This record gives sequence, C-alpha cells and structure tokens, in this order.
Amino acid sequence: MASGLLLEAGLAITVLAVAGTLAFRLGQSVIPAYIVIGLVVGPNAPEVAGISFSVLERHEFVDLLAELGVVLLLFFIGVEFSIDQLLANRDRLAVVGGIDLVVNAAVGVAIGLAFGFTPVEVAFLTGIVYISSSAIVTKSLIDLGWVADPEAEVVLGTLVVEDLVIAVYLAVLSALVLGGGGDAALSAVAVALGFIAVLVVVARLGTPVIQRVLSVDSDELFVLTTLGAVALVGGLALQLGVSEAVAAFFVGTAVSATDAVHRVEKLLSPARDLFAAIFFLAIGFQTDLGALSGTALTLLAVAVVLTTVSKLVSGYWSGLRYGLSERRARRAGIALVARGEFSLVLAALALEVGTGALADVIPAFAVGYVLAMSVLGTVLMKSVPRLEGYLEDRSAEATETA
Amino acid sequence: MTVYETDVPGVGRKFELEVGEGARLVVLMHHDGRRELFHRPNPDADSQRIVDLDGETARQLGAILTGAYFQPIELDRTQVPLGEAILEWVEIGEGSSIVGQTLSGCDVRNQTGVSVIAIQRGDETVPNPDPDETIAADDILVVLGTREEQQALQEFVDQ
Repeated sequence: MASGLLLEAGLAITVLAVAGTLAFRLGQSVIPAYIVIGLVVGPNAPEVAGISFSVLERHEFVDLLAELGVVLLLFFIGVEFSIDQLLANRDRLAVVGGIDLVVNAAVGVAIGLAFGFTPVEVAFLTGIVYISSSAIVTKSLIDLGWVADPEAEVVLGTLVVEDLVIAVYLAVLSALVLGGGGDAALSAVAVALGFIAVLVVVARLGTPVIQRVLSVDSDELFVLTTLGAVALVGGLALQLGVSEAVAAFFVGTAVSATDAVHRVEKLLSPARDLFAAIFFLAIGFQTDLGALSGTALTLLAVAVVLTTVSKLVSGYWSGLRYGLSERRARRAGIALVARGEFSLVLAALALEVGTGALADVIPAFAVGYVLAMSVLGTVLMKSVPRLEGYLEDRSAEATETA
Repeated sequence: MTVYETDVPGVGRKFELEVGEGARLVVLMHHDGRRELFHRPNPDADSQRIVDLDGETARQLGAILTGAYFQPIELDRTQVPLGEAILEWVEIGEGSSIVGQTLSGCDVRNQTGVSVIAIQRGDETVPNPDPDETIAADDILVVLGTREEQQALQEFVDQ
C-alpha cells in the first residue's frame, strides 16, 4: 500500500472532524463546514500572502468514498420514503408539492434564460435552486423543536414530494447528458426509465424476498448485504448510463416496505454520515473559488436573493393552503430556504459531464450557492422568534396609531 | 381522548394527545429509539420541549405513568399502594407453621388483620379463596392490609 495514503486519509477525516466540531459549536449545519474545509486545505486552496494551505490532494480514494456518500444519501432518502404515505396524503401533498415546484422551478428557469444559458444548463440551474436540503431542514426542525408543530407537516410533506421529483428529474437529466445528443440521448432516456421501471417493479413485488434476505441475525452480514446491494445496483446503473444516485434511491424504496427500515437507520447511518462528509469534502476539493467571478458571481448574487424569496413565497402559500395560520405558514417558508446535498449532487454531475458553462460556471456557482443558502436557511430559522417579536411590535404600533 | 398519530419522514413517528383546553402533549419517537416530549399549551403556541429521553429511560417513564412500575425491595416482594393499605405477595416457605392449615383454621385474618384476596399456586391463581382453602408450601398469598398488618402477617407466617 502506498505509504502516504493512510496519512492522507487520516488527515482528511481529521480536518472533517475539526470543521464539524466548529460548526456544531457555532450552531450551524455541518455541510457548509465540510465544504469550506475542503476548499481551504484541498488542491485548489487559495494562496494567502504567498502561502497555500493546500495539504491534501484529490486521490482516487476520496472520489470513491464520495461516490459511496452520494449513493448512500439517496439510498436513505429512498428508505425513508413511504409511497403509501404519499398516496394516503396525495391531495394535500400534491398541492404543497405543486406550489413548491411551480414557483421555484419558474424562478430557476427565468434566471437561467436571463443569463442566456442553453436548455441543459437551464435544467441544471433549475434543479439546483429548486430542491431544499432534506438533511439541513429536517435537522433544524428537530433542533428548534418545530417538528412538534403543524408547520413541520407542510415542510416535511414538501420535502417528500421534492425527493420524488428530483429522482425522476435526475434520471432523465443524467441520461440526457451522459447519453450525448440527438437520438442517442433519447435511447439513453429510454434505458434510464426502463432500468428504473425494473427497480420499481422489483421494489413493489419483491418485498417478501427482500424481507427474507434482510432478516439475517448478524448485524455484520446485514451491513455487508445492504451496502453490497446498493453499491452493486448503483454501479450497474452507471454502466448503463443511468444515474447511480437514482438507482440507490429506488433500492432504498425497496427496503422501505420491509421491517428492516429501523435496522438500516441504526446500522448504516454511521456509514452514510462518514461517506457523505467525504462527499462534501470532495466538493470543496473540486471547486476552484477562482472560477467564482464574473458571470458565476453575478448569478450567485441574483439566485440567492430571488430563490430565497421564491421559497418564502411558495412555503407561505403552501402553508395557507394547508390551513395553517399566517405565522405558521411564514415559518414553513423560512424552513424551506436551506439548500444542500442535492444541489451538490447536481453540481458534481455537471462537473463530470459538462463543457462550457456546465464545466466552470455552474459547479462553482452551485458550491457558493449551497454555502450561502445552507447558512442563510439555518440563521433565518433561528432568528424567527426575534423576527416574530418585531412583527408583533409593529402590528401593535399600527393598532395604536390607528 | 383522541391520539393523533402521524409519520414524520426521515425522523420517526409523532403522537399528539389532547390534554384539555386546546393543549396537547406531543411525543416524537425517533427511529433511533430517542423520545422527545413536547407540550403545546394552545393551538397557536409553540411546542415547548419538556424532555429528551433515550429508549430505556422512556420505557421506564412509561411504566411509571401506567402505574405498572414497581420498586424492587427486599425479598423481591411487590407493593401496590391502595390508600392506607398495600397489596403484597407473601411466599409461604416449607417450614411455615401455617402450611397444611385452612385459612379459617389458622385464623389469619383475626391474628394479623390482613385479608387474603387470592392465592397463587404454581401457574394457577385462586381468587377469593374459601375460608376452608388449605395453604400449601410454596403458595403465594396475595394479601391486602396496612403496613403494620403486613408486618404482623410476615411474623405470623415465619413462625
């Protein structure tokens, strides 16, 4: 084994631990911290006064573990995704999910067109600004105790719909860009949809078999079996030109119908957390902040402002339609502002396949965007009590003067 | 009383109990076994987190709330409070002088003050035993009485 590799791996995980601890102390999400540390110590580290902090290189092992991180992130979304629950609440979820999709995708498309992007670039940009971060939002809801209040139902319901939309969207988009142009792209989309159809059928009909396979007594064998299946199906999907993340999502839905859900949560979350942390680190490694200038910087400024407003509006509107009071509806909007892991999955895909704006502007934009929106989303949620206090004072003053 | 139960995607399951005047008690069960307890004083108020428990502690709290919790004391006897009186399970050893006597024969009630309300014999339970029920070795008497009466019974049985 290469003598320096273990040292590199040790360093990488240690800097993640340090960055994560700092973020935790500051009451922030760990995701932006992982990216920032990747930016600071990675191969593209900026030079300050002629000194570069670049201590880590982008080795293959980082890419491999990051890939496992993406696959496990989507696998868990699938595990926690309940198609039955979606169907049971379909009327309400269709309304909140629909509002969220229409408002935010429209803003994304408008920004893309205004910047003169090609259709594929617009599609990437739209996906990046549309999808809220399940990881950051859910964690904040729990930390702040909102999870016990009715607005959490709107927020989490919206996230469920977003997960489904992004799975289909990612499947089509990756088939389009991986399959090249013209007829080849069409057949790639057909292959992608066919592969997913097979996975869905297996997931729906294969429950008894999956149940039996997963009912091994040994925790060790359970972890090996599940991880093996996820990586194998993901890898197979990639070979066929289908998004590995989407394949992992559907493997997750196959597990979600069995009794093994809790066991997956208990035994595989540590693996997901480790690999996902390395994915965020790798995103930092891959990003050259130098590219965040000119168009990318203007795009970032415009997108941060407009898509914060669009989420506030769509969340508020969804909340009112769900029957929440104005105050709770406002909170639903604020809770959905944070963007995170999915926007980065899209950025990684853009970087992998892209040329032109897809290779430099979009990835650099996406990283800057996620850094801004993840911090902004968390900070906004925390300042809600102050914000509401201010609004109450103002309405009280208005009544007095009236 | 109504309990509202909902799935919380990615978190676990949520239960809401109406506790009068619009107030609700919210129990959030995480997938990892953690339980959080919240109180929402009225529909417009924010839920206040009361406590965050691990699975083990939560089960113990649940047992206390249902009244099923018991304090292990000497001799593994159990007590259930009933006003002044307590319920006790008293095991009759082989050497006890009352083995082989009937309940009326040993006059346990007048001697000690307790009421024998059941006898557990192996897997069987004899509820409301007749006065002429014979006490056998290894029987467990389920008796009701004050602490003093229970103490008197213990001495009476140990004779």
